[in-house]
Order: sequence, then structure tokens, then C-alpha cells
Amino acid sequence: MFKRLGICLLALAVFSTNAEMSPDDITKFQLKNGMTIMVMEDHSIPNANMYIFWKAGSRNEYPGTTGLAHFFEHMMFNGAKKYGPKMFDRTMEANGGANNAYTSENLTVYTNWFPSGALEVIFDLEADRIQNLALDPEIVESERGVVTSERSTGLENSNFRAIWGAVKNAAFSAHPYSWSVIGHASDIANWTLEDLESFHKTYYAPNNAVMVIVGAVDTAEVKRLAEQYIEPIPAQKPPRKIHTVEPEQKGERRAYVHKPSVSSANIMMGFHIPANTHEDYYPLIMLGDILTSGNSARLNSELIFEQQVADQVFTYIPDSFDPNLFYIYGVASQSADAATLEKAIIKEINDVARNGITEQELQKVKNQKLVEFYRNVAEINNRADLIGRYELFHGDFRKMFTAPDDFQKVTAQDIQRVAAKYLVKRNRTVGVLDSKEDSNENDL
Amino acid sequence: MKTIYKILSAVLIVLLSSVSNAKSQFSMPEYSKTTLDNGLTLYLMQQSEVPMIDVNVVIGSGAIFDGKVAGLAQMTSDNLMFGTRSLDKKSLESALEFVGAQFYTDASLDYSELSASFAKKDQDEMLAILAEVLRSPRFDEEEFNKYKNRYLGTLKRQKESPNSVIRNYFMQMIFPEHPYRAVVGGDESSVEAADIKSLKTFYGAHYQPANIAIVVAGDFESKKMSNKLTTLFGDWKAEQPLPKRPSFKEVAAFDKPRVLLVNKDDARESTFLIGGAGVPRSNPDFVALNVLNTILGGRFTSWLNDELRVNSGLTYGARSRFLNYKEAGIFYISTFTANDTTEAAIDLALKTYSRLWEQGVDAETLKSAKAYVKGQFPPRYETSSELASLLGRMHIYGFDESFINEFEQNIDAIDEAQTKTLIKKYFPQDNLQFTVIGKAEEIRDVLKKYGEVTEIEIKTPGYAL
Repeated sequence: MFKRLGICLLALAVFSTNAEMSPDDITKFQLKNGMTIMVMEDHSIPNANMYIFWKAGSRNEYPGTTGLAHFFEHMMFNGAKKYGPKMFDRTMEANGGANNAYTSENLTVYTNWFPSGALEVIFDLEADRIQNLALDPEIVESERGVVTSERSTGLENSNFRAIWGAVKNAAFSAHPYSWSVIGHASDIANWTLEDLESFHKTYYAPNNAVMVIVGAVDTAEVKRLAEQYIEPIPAQKPPRKIHTVEPEQKGERRAYVHKPSVSSANIMMGFHIPANTHEDYYPLIMLGDILTSGNSARLNSELIFEQQVADQVFTYIPDSFDPNLFYIYGVASQSADAATLEKAIIKEINDVARNGITEQELQKVKNQKLVEFYRNVAEINNRADLIGRYELFHGDFRKMFTAPDDFQKVTAQDIQRVAAKYLVKRNRTVGVLDSKEDSNENDL
Repeated sequence: MKTIYKILSAVLIVLLSSVSNAKSQFSMPEYSKTTLDNGLTLYLMQQSEVPMIDVNVVIGSGAIFDGKVAGLAQMTSDNLMFGTRSLDKKSLESALEFVGAQFYTDASLDYSELSASFAKKDQDEMLAILAEVLRSPRFDEEEFNKYKNRYLGTLKRQKESPNSVIRNYFMQMIFPEHPYRAVVGGDESSVEAADIKSLKTFYGAHYQPANIAIVVAGDFESKKMSNKLTTLFGDWKAEQPLPKRPSFKEVAAFDKPRVLLVNKDDARESTFLIGGAGVPRSNPDFVALNVLNTILGGRFTSWLNDELRVNSGLTYGARSRFLNYKEAGIFYISTFTANDTTEAAIDLALKTYSRLWEQGVDAETLKSAKAYVKGQFPPRYETSSELASLLGRMHIYGFDESFINEFEQNIDAIDEAQTKTLIKKYFPQDNLQFTVIGKAEEIRDVLKKYGEVTEIEIKTPGYAL
């Protein structure tokens, strides 16, 4: 009864995105100081969230101050004018709210989750730290310890983290994507108060941010509060553009990381690809899914279950303002070494580039994209994050709603074409993490 | 992975634990519960925000029934997905993945589960597959052997990350000679020794209708869904009497403080847990204890995180938690720090913990924690998937919707005087148990002052002390 996959192809794609949710449910407006705000009411639970996306990531750093954007993310919690040290978190939690934040190569994102009744307090807290952040030298010193511990625990517990920095560093020779978001240990220890002050003034300007609020709120009330609390904060001169273009890579690069406790080799490959706004972006996302989304995907099926040379394999394509990397990550099985796994991955990629994919694989990924959309928007938290990311990385939050249809338009030829164009040796950086030392007595 | 978080995971408090909202608008959505003639329980909850359906199947047996084969419940649940009577592993995976469905199996100490998420339009095909997975798994020997190799690799790999194994060691300290000492995931020796026959036996004994509840939440019409499920599961007959649960003795009090040092040669930091016995899920003070734990180590401004992270910069995060099982529970403080600040961090953790008895909880902090716990409660039960999972746990642990509906008033009822009684009664104060994973050569000596030290190697298979 279940062996009728081929037939499903005929039932293709009449994908209307969910009837109950549409871009018209989102109100978008801009304050006089340039901050863009988007609001989506959803009264299914008596809670709401506020996301603030600042266009400040590790790409806005320079050698010597790597990790500054992320460190700054920490400092935003350490006291301003009205709410002094510790008071941001204490006030928020006493009002039933919780918060977090993350920093990526492109953005620093602050997230507040709260019972709707606390909306005004949240605005007050945010306005205070945006306009009047206080950088206490003693707290800066203590926070260096926290970030050093964060860096260390990432490297201790995550092989991905341990190898990622080395691969980025080899893949990028000019662009600031070259260093890890957490930054170099010696930079964390040495940046100055002046570095922090200038970073805040430049990047934490309202005209450099997008705010998203989703939940049990009243849109008119949000607008009123935004005008009251955020609008008086002056705009700043826009930050200088990142003009550095990574030169074309013309040959394979390699990195090796020795970690004695690793029980089998880990491989990370990075291939240069264009940014989110490029026409090849959706085909590349789908290529990633064809390779590793689910046990029936190419790399999983072949490497884990057939050849048994890998225990895990996945692809990762970060959202990106500038051209970045398409990552393939593999963990070797107990019986395979790094070289075997590497060859096996390359063989599968080459197969897509040479022979293309089947219509059924294509349709599978399209079906998965639609269901994934529903899963993402089911929760107000994910929905807010996604609205902001589409607005920033794709230029318009409405593209979040058309994404399932946009994926529909991608053809099998598109996917073969991008595989052949980008997933090639000269465009590749290969990182290996292994328990064996990368030297022995026979080295020259 | 993509991002670096300010708070590692301190935002999440305990299992289901804690919490509701300021204006009591939050209540359990309507659901129905029926029991079929064969003893199988069905829960249905309509939710139509997105055209999706979520299923949570709970099987009332977990690793406490593993017997000599540690990991048996886990391996049995994993192997459900490797083919059914009519579908081999590949066909099964293709059928699910083609429509973007996700099936997920897992085991824990008290129960096993199978969850599924799929589009409304695919419900007939997906429910039919779900029924086959549950009722007629293939347990193919070749697939099992391949799985075993992969799984042995997973077990080894877990030990590369202290975070992912430290609790397994700690549980051995808290539950010696107790059914909860079972290591849910098993270990390299037990998995090596397991065979497909042992899985089939476990399946036959425990995967029986009277031991199972199926929860379906999402976009469907209840009457039709009920008919479909009755058709798919109504003729499932019990094959044998259900095994008797092992007897649970009271967790014995500890006669002295102990330190388990797990050596990891290339550790760049020490990861540690400090604690003792906790309480079962059924404890009447479950909600109140979560408020107290919020103050101690359950949120960013908690005492532990404030002292160890914010005031001293010793760590990226420090927290504490109660983990509640059906018959017992554990409590622990957890954090990590650089090798050379191990002593400073443990001392500060202990000093901060002692504030519970020495200073107690003041009115303002209690008020804040109550607001926090209430405010963070509704988002835990927002989506169909979360609600399905909630109903599954209600079934296993025997609580009902009053947990949701009376949550707020239970929180409001906690007063300062009560906190003293609760602290005295439930938080382990003497003879604390320590598990530390780190570089023994650098931290061995400083650990002696906390208790009798036992040292083992992280690379030694399993978790035996």
C-alpha cells in the first residue's frame, strides 16, 4: 500500500500557503529615526516576543578586535542609565519576561519573551540600553572571563566549533568571514573600552536595526510605545559598507586540527557560494537538502547506510549578506578514516554535478520545504525570527510567505548546475579534525 | 551551532516543570480521552493554526526494564524505524521523507515514545505507517547489525563531550542498587552483547495496547480521527500479561560526601555536577520547588549564575535543577570552568548554595521568581507538538490538566514561610555527591577536600564507578 511514490509526482504542488496566515497580517512601519518595525498579532497564548536585529556581526570587525560584536552582545546586558548593572535582567524577569541574544557573522539579535502585559517595560528596557548604555570598566574585565569560558566550552564540547574556525580561516583570505564569531583568545583579552564605545555608537543606531514583535499585542499600542520610547533616539551616520570582496579561490585549501580525544575523524568542507539575495541561493539550499535532509538523502543513504563510512553527515548554509560558504560536515564511522570519508563525499557530489538528480528527489525537497514552513510559523518565537531574517537577508519579509512557491520554481537542472558550478575542487576548503598528530618522524 | 548564545541553556528550567501567566488567560485546550476495549488509550486535541498533525505515542516501559542489557529500551525504540511488515527500511524512510513527515523514537527511564509530525493532507497514509511501525516492526537482523556499529560509534563519541555524559555518571552515584541506575543509552559492552532477539523480546513484552497511549493533536476533526484510530488499533490484541514493574526502594541517604573524578586527558575545562536525591514527578510540592530552584539556579539572575558568571566571570553559565522521574528524582547544581579555577568555582557554588539555609529567600526575590515562572509558562504549551507531548507525559506520570489550569494559583499560594520548610525538606544539604569531568592531573588534589575521591577514565566503556 505504500509503494506508490512515483504516482505522487502527479499530485504536484498546488501550494497555497496557509489560508489563516498571510503577509497582510503583518504591519510594517518605520520610525522617524529610521528603525523598521514589524508587528504580527497572535492571541493563541497570552504572551509575545520582541526581536531586535542589529546589522552588526563579526563581518563588521577588524583584525585585533575579532569577537567584538559578540562581546558587545554581552555588554548590552550590563547596565545603562535608568537600569544600572544587573537591572536589565532583574527587571525583565520580575515582570515575567526572559531574554537571550545571539551573534552571527552578519547580525546581533536580541530576543525578549514575555507575558503581553509587560510590553511597555520591555520597550523601556530596550530604549534605555540602546540610547544610554554604560560601559563600566570593571564589568568589561569580568565579562572577558565569561566570554573566554564560552569560547572554551564550545571548543571542549563541540567538534564542529573546533574545526569551523580553521576552515573559515583557510577559505577566506580577505573578507572578515575569515575569523570565528567568538573571536581570537588574544583579542578577547585585549580590546579596549574605546573599541566598545565606538562600536556601540556606530552599530547600535536605530537606523541600523529591524524590530519584530509577534504575539498577543495590539498593533496600535505597539506603534504608540515605539514612538514614545524608541523614536526619540537619534539616528547616526550609517556604518561604512563592507567593501572587501573575497578574491576568487583558485585551488583547494586544507586545514587540520589535532584533538586527541576524538574517537573518529571529522571532516568539514566549505565551498564559496553567493549571498542570500543571489538567484542561485534557493537551488543551493535545495541541493543541501538533496544531499543530507533525511536518511533517504544522497549522502546519508550512501555514506551512512550503504558504505558505512560515516556515522553522521549534514550540510549547513548560513544566512549571509556577503558571499559565504556551503558547508558539508561528516563524522567518520569507527571503521573509516578521514581520507575514505572525504573521497566518498566527493564522489556523491560529483555524481550530482555530472548526472543530476531525479524528479522524485526534487519533489521530495519541495514537499519538505512546505511542511518546514508550517512547522516554523506554528510558534510565535520561530515566526518572529523568520520574519526578521527574511526582511534582512532577502530584502522583504513577504518573501517568507512566498518561499514555498519560490522553491517550487527551482528545477532539477538548476540544482545540477549549481552543484557543478560551486561544489568543485578549486573552490573547496577541506578541514580534518582527528586524534592523530599531523606530524610524524618521516615528515620532510 | 550557527550562533553563540548569551545563556547556554539556563533559560530552560526543568522537564515539564514550573510555571503560568499574569491574567489567568492560559488554560488547557479541550481534549478527549477514550480507552479502547484492548486497553489502548487515545487522546485527541484539535488545533488548527497550521494544517499539520502531531502524534505522541507513549509506551509505559523504559530503561528500568532493561535488565542485563543496558540500552535495551532505547535500542528497541530506535529499531522500530528500520522497517515494518510491508516496508523495508529504505521504503519506509522514502515514504515519510517524500512528504516531509518526521517520525522520532526515544526511550527514557520510565517510558518509551514515538512522535510523528506530518501535513494534514497526508494523514491517512502517515497514520497507516504509524500503525505498522508500532504493531509490526520488522526487526531485521542485518539492519540491526549495521545500527549496532553506528550506535557503538555514537556511544564513544558522546564521551568526547563532557556535557553529554556527565549526568550518566552522576546518576550512578545517586542511585546505586536502584532501578534508576539504568543507563538509558546503554554502554559499549552492553550494546556489543545485544542481539536482535533481545529486542524482539522486549518489544513483545512491553509494546502492548494496554501499555500504550496515542495522543493526536492538530488540524483534524475529532470524530473522524477517532474512527480512523479505532480502525487502525482496535483489533490489536494483547499477547501476554504485562511485566511487573521493578520495586522501588526509597533512595538511601548518603553516609558521606563523595567525589567521582572522571579523567579526560585533553580537557581544557572542568565540568561538574553537585547534588543528591530529588523528588518524583508526583510530589505535591513539584510546582513550588521549581519556583525555589528558579531563584537558586533556574534563570539568568539566579543566585548561582549571578555569582559564578556575572560577579566573578568564572564560567559562561551556572544553574541548578530538579529532574523528576516517576518514582524518584535528582537534584544538582551544574557548571564548568577553566582547569585552574576549578576550586574557586566549586567553593563559590557551595557557598552560594548554602544561602538557601543561611539567608533564605526574601519577599522581593520570591515575588520576582513567581512572576517569572508564571510568565514563561504558556509558550511551553503553544504548538500541537508541545501539547501532544504534554498529554503523553500526563498519561505516564499520572497528572491532569489541573497542572495547567491551577498552575497560577499554585504559584500564587507560595509564601515566604513555606519556602523555609521546602528548603529544609527537599534540598540536599549534607553529604553532597560530586561528579567532575576534567584533567585529573591538574585538579586531583584540590578535589580531596570535598569528599572521598574515586578516579576513573572517561575512555573506559560505560559508567560504572
